[in-house]
Amino acid sequence: MKKLLTSVIAILLVIMSLFGMVACGGEPGSGEKPQTDAEGNTIVKIMFHVDKSSTEGQAYQKRINAFNAAYKDKKIKAQPIFKARSAGASGYETELQNNQLEGTLADIITFDAPNTAAYANAGLLHDISELIPAEDQDKFYSLNTYNGKLYGLPIQESSAGFFYNKKIFRDAGIDVSGFTAENPWTFEQFKDVCARLKNHGVTAVDMRIDATKDETAPYLLYPFIYAAGGDFVSEDGYTATGFYNSAATANGFQFIKDLIISGYTSYAIGATDFFTGKVGMYLSSGWTIPDLDNKYREQFASRDDWGLLPYPKGAEAASATGSWSYAITNNHHEDKTAALELLKWMTSAESSKAITDATGMIPARKDAVKDYAVGSPEYTLMKQLELSGKERPVTVAYPTFSTTFNQIIAGLGNGDVNQLLNAATNTLQDAMNKIKDR
Amino acid sequence: MLTTSIIILAIFLCAFGGFVVYDLATAKRHKEVYRVKSSVTAYLMLLPAVILAFLFIMLPILYSLGYAFTDYYLLKPNEIDFVFLDNFASIFKEISAKGMLYNAIKNTITFVVGVVPLQIGLALLLALFVNRPCFGSKIFKVCFFAPVVISLSITAFLWEQILAPGEGGLLNAMLGMFGIPPHDWLRDPNTAMPCIIVLSAWQGCGYQMLIFLSGLSNIRKDLYEAAALDGANWWHKFWLVTWVGLRSTFVYILITVFIGACRILTQPMLMTGYMSHTVTLSYYMYNIGYTERWVGESSAVALLMTIFIGGITLIQRRLFREK
Repeated sequence: MKKLLTSVIAILLVIMSLFGMVACGGEPGSGEKPQTDAEGNTIVKIMFHVDKSSTEGQAYQKRINAFNAAYKDKKIKAQPIFKARSAGASGYETELQNNQLEGTLADIITFDAPNTAAYANAGLLHDISELIPAEDQDKFYSLNTYNGKLYGLPIQESSAGFFYNKKIFRDAGIDVSGFTAENPWTFEQFKDVCARLKNHGVTAVDMRIDATKDETAPYLLYPFIYAAGGDFVSEDGYTATGFYNSAATANGFQFIKDLIISGYTSYAIGATDFFTGKVGMYLSSGWTIPDLDNKYREQFASRDDWGLLPYPKGAEAASATGSWSYAITNNHHEDKTAALELLKWMTSAESSKAITDATGMIPARKDAVKDYAVGSPEYTLMKQLELSGKERPVTVAYPTFSTTFNQIIAGLGNGDVNQLLNAATNTLQDAMNKIKDR
Repeated sequence: MLTTSIIILAIFLCAFGGFVVYDLATAKRHKEVYRVKSSVTAYLMLLPAVILAFLFIMLPILYSLGYAFTDYYLLKPNEIDFVFLDNFASIFKEISAKGMLYNAIKNTITFVVGVVPLQIGLALLLALFVNRPCFGSKIFKVCFFAPVVISLSITAFLWEQILAPGEGGLLNAMLGMFGIPPHDWLRDPNTAMPCIIVLSAWQGCGYQMLIFLSGLSNIRKDLYEAAALDGANWWHKFWLVTWVGLRSTFVYILITVFIGACRILTQPMLMTGYMSHTVTLSYYMYNIGYTERWVGESSAVALLMTIFIGGITLIQRRLFREK
């Protein structure tokens, strides 16, 4: 009898949990008015991906405080929520999903640019194409678009390039002063410089091909594929076959493989080898600038000791773009007026300057860009963004793209480029089909 | 989800209440007055633990079990539909196509087959070594146990430095002294998993050593004396006294190490990333469920893995049960 009772209870619970999940999967509440506080202020919640105590978090908090002071009379009050990405991007994403499920999604969220397609496709983001005038959209270096619609505005911009050790270059008799963002070097010139550095007895370049456990390698290396005339996915983001495994794409990856085979770069380069003078060039983003200015004074006493070169160009010029962005969410608040006011405030030239002052990144708005000295590393990054910046592929299956890209880079040392590309293309195409069919 | 959880909890509590009433009624029917009184107290004291265990252990398992039959996509939590066995069909399709899941199963089996005997063997050897009263045995105990208290992520990072490619890696530098060229240990499909096996066995064996030590302390000394009088050599003493005395400890260690090995995730994730030669079942589940956002399919893999581990554990128990 006891056994029977226990079995009945267990079966009952399983059935209830199954039904419960479908029951909880209903439509979120909609059409509600934004929340107001006791003083009649409309509350706009904005969720950030950083910790409040971080430099970046403090910069956001200051801009929120300024917003609340400026909009006191208009009775709009911004309420920030700081959710640091303790468990990586997926941890932050789980938080978003839980909020969506519980109907507590903030009015504005920050999100990583490559997620635009997946989030927009899932209905998480509000279409702001009509809410942001075209002349305002033109002020940004890049926009978060999907299927021709605008879903987000960037907080700041990041770009990357080749940091180089001027002393090593001088000793090797290499002059790269003519290679600028306006006049980038070619793939052949890049290889020539690498060969001369190798002959000089140093490892030519740290291409970061060992950084395949996260987004580092895809972010830094994808421009080589575009520069070679290749591509990753179709315009609608649902076809990889014929793009990811095209001949031009293979050429881009082959260029990286050639650098490995020629001994110009390798998987064995240590994380600090460039900073200790063992490597001539180092592919990295603008976040390396503060490190070179402040942390490695012994090797790089001043900016006379290091410089920044743009991405080399092949069939065309291409450089890395994209960072975190703001978006208004499709939460249960129907009236987006207050959220739009806050979005405009946080993406204003003033906010853009204030936040990038704290982070050291390039402002997302052209009219907020500081007066960088011509030829300075910041100027090179900014000009690159303007002239050749190309975003990572826009696809709903971006995480799969990122994983497969890492697998290709990790396999380049010993593997055949076309075989690696075909395997990656099949995996990505399957992932796209799965989302499309759902 | 909150409402659902509350409803399920309410049903569980009703069922638990029904069970309690049934038990008490049975006791009353048999006129066991003392048992009725003590049972009421016992059930009341049990209730908080039962609720907590249900909320934090049973409920997630039930949800995961339920999700295995749905198309739950992390970004569309409000659109969950039952797909019955579709997730299992795509799992078997992936295996037959020798995709990433196939690699994950293959690598997990390789890891389990490699790490279980190595870790248990090492633990037993260390336990036998430090169990002898000799100078410095306590220091050895601390040294052997030290890796257990170090965070797995730190251990993985340390070993990544040891196994670093090129001449910068400690292992390569040491081999270089004997003229052996540097090797990319973690990127080479032939050496990556063996490296992870060695690191995991090194990290985990200290804990099993302690359990073996407690098992060894329970073996009576007079058994060894009797064996010596009977002319037993060291092997006879080990096989007929020590091993027999450690049998139940060994079964416990075998089962826990086996289950732990089946769940390996941190080491490949931190040391190699999501690569076909080191991906494991748990890593695959994590990637499918969180990175690629297919919670339904990930739950289906979890369900199959649970059945597999449970099945093997039962077989192990049966094979090693006391006769």
